[in-house]
Amino acid sequence: MSASPSTTVTEPNAAPLPGVLPRAPQVLNDRSPLWVTDAVCSIVEGKTPLWWYAAIALSGSLAAAGGACILYMICTGVGVWGSNSPAFWAWDITNFIFWVSMAHAGSFISAVLFLTRQKWSLSVSRAAEAMTVFAIVCAGVYPAIHIGRVWYVWFLAPIPNNFGMWPNFSSPLLWDVFAVTSYLTVSSLFWFAGMVPDLAVLRDRATTKVRKFCYGIVSLGWLGTARQWRHYEMMYVLLAGLTSVLVVTVTTIVASDCATSVIPGWHATIFPFYFMVGAVYSGSATVLTLLIPLRALYPQLKDLITPAQLEKVGMLLLMMGSCVGYVYVFELFNAWYSGNVFERGAFWERFNGTASWYAITCLSINLTIPQLFWFKRVRTCLPLVFVLAILCNVGMWFERFMIVTTSLLHDFLPSSWGNFHPSVVDILTATGTVGIFFTLFLLFIRFVPIMSMNELKAALPGAQPHHAGEGR
Amino acid sequence: MGSATQSFHGHHLPVAGSIREPLHAIGARFDSPESLIGAADALRSAGLTRFECYTPYPIHGLDRAMRLPKSILSLLVLGGGVSAILIALSMELVPTCLIYPLVVDGKPVDLVALPMFVPIVVALTLMIGAVTAVVGMIALGGMPRWNHPMFAWDLFAKDASRGFFLSVDATDARFSVRGVSELLENAGAGDITAIHLETCAHDGGSQPEGRHGN
Repeated sequence: MSASPSTTVTEPNAAPLPGVLPRAPQVLNDRSPLWVTDAVCSIVEGKTPLWWYAAIALSGSLAAAGGACILYMICTGVGVWGSNSPAFWAWDITNFIFWVSMAHAGSFISAVLFLTRQKWSLSVSRAAEAMTVFAIVCAGVYPAIHIGRVWYVWFLAPIPNNFGMWPNFSSPLLWDVFAVTSYLTVSSLFWFAGMVPDLAVLRDRATTKVRKFCYGIVSLGWLGTARQWRHYEMMYVLLAGLTSVLVVTVTTIVASDCATSVIPGWHATIFPFYFMVGAVYSGSATVLTLLIPLRALYPQLKDLITPAQLEKVGMLLLMMGSCVGYVYVFELFNAWYSGNVFERGAFWERFNGTASWYAITCLSINLTIPQLFWFKRVRTCLPLVFVLAILCNVGMWFERFMIVTTSLLHDFLPSSWGNFHPSVVDILTATGTVGIFFTLFLLFIRFVPIMSMNELKAALPGAQPHHAGEGR
Repeated sequence: MGSATQSFHGHHLPVAGSIREPLHAIGARFDSPESLIGAADALRSAGLTRFECYTPYPIHGLDRAMRLPKSILSLLVLGGGVSAILIALSMELVPTCLIYPLVVDGKPVDLVALPMFVPIVVALTLMIGAVTAVVGMIALGGMPRWNHPMFAWDLFAKDASRGFFLSVDATDARFSVRGVSELLENAGAGDITAIHLETCAHDGGSQPEGRHGN
């Protein structure tokens, strides 16, 4: 059905219709499928660069320090954290929400944008999915340990036991357990299953026996037969559909942790939306934070991760950041308009009380930084985008703290008002999760194809037959 | 290994694998997805069914040329999802309403408030649906497997990620080396090769019957 030279076209070479802009190329410089394979595989197959060792030493030490703190906390008790009356939820839940939310942009980019046929997301989707999985791992650290006595964590599972004890299914905290477990399972499967054909490429290219064996195991004996692709494509669409639902449900459930309580500052119906837009906002910022250095460190990726694609992630950040800004303003308006003295008091305290600098930092970052992305000059200046994206995530961390902890500091009874100071263990555990995240991501870069080669190759010009029908 | 040739009633083909082992398939390599689709269509029109195409990425129209039906995976996932709903509901309702009735605010237990059970039902449905999708894809795709006779063919083993390959199974009722090779040649194939099974290291390669020739 393609326009052949013989058809009557007024312009030479069948130029696009007037008013229709040509699509930006998926891969720059007319690269061949073989080039794509070589470029992506060379990261895994080449010599480990020195910066990688330095980076993993740093992130590994942070992770180890975090692990030591967790061990110390388990052996001693949650008293080693700064959490105390009235802030029973502090950095633990803040970090949990921060990480689990960040994960959502990965799912959004890989699943929702896949289903809506946004081809530009192809080269960033694998890394975004990896970010999702690792962020959920970091988030998963907290729910298990914040209960204090970790050995009772099995109380959360509906296991028939001789105490006749069952979990309370009406509690959003239990919903959390299922939401996070299913999110981790589904996003890991989505990530892994999408990788199988590319792992098979690494297996076929492996030069050593160990590599061939390892990639042979993880690629499950993939051959790329038409029958396998048929089921694979169906699976990918199904998983993308399921993951898209998760983008909405998981944050909704996490938001319900707060929204179903009566604490002023938590008890709001806008919370699920609030959490979701914040989630995709901070996740897009993380995608930019990870991909911009990656592109600089591996120059062969410059034709695959194009500035145009990063610019689109920037636009996503702008859109979601603006939604976040809208919710901030709406929340303040609602507190005033509700006429509820406790609600008004909580918000007044949030910006004027003892912990006001959290809220002020949060708002001053999240209301301004995303708005800079209106300017093309900002969006296309990658070093600047990198810095701004890190700032966005700092702002989002302060937002999570503002929601979770500052609301607790000022509830109904003046006698129970208080303040929160993090302990060293709090801080090292939090930096430990950052270490875990970057350690996992560095391992991902080194051992796994960081881009979906099969999707990229399929999207190259000339990759698909001109005649979709039968025969030649 | 790749330089050996074998004669099938005067028709010479390069050989992969061990010539003493039975013939597994005739393999061929194509330059473009179009020629692969053409070959698949031609084979199917000639009545051959047991052949397989190998591509580095999914090719639109290839499944139609091979007359492959729609994947049944979506049905499996539907089954997985529906059973997940039932599992989740019984997991929640049985303890909460029967085994250990949870009385909150003195409200009667038999007034089951369903909304509170929904989030876990959704989470489990998505999770079991996704597990079904991946396990189903693996099982329907004939995976996991350690090895495949096609890997006896060096060109394929090294190049499967780049080229478009096709193999016609020797067990096909209409299989004949000459017929298939000519068909593939006419469809524009290159590197047409007779792929034999590899000798097993431990059992000395004794197979009950050989299927050499015609």
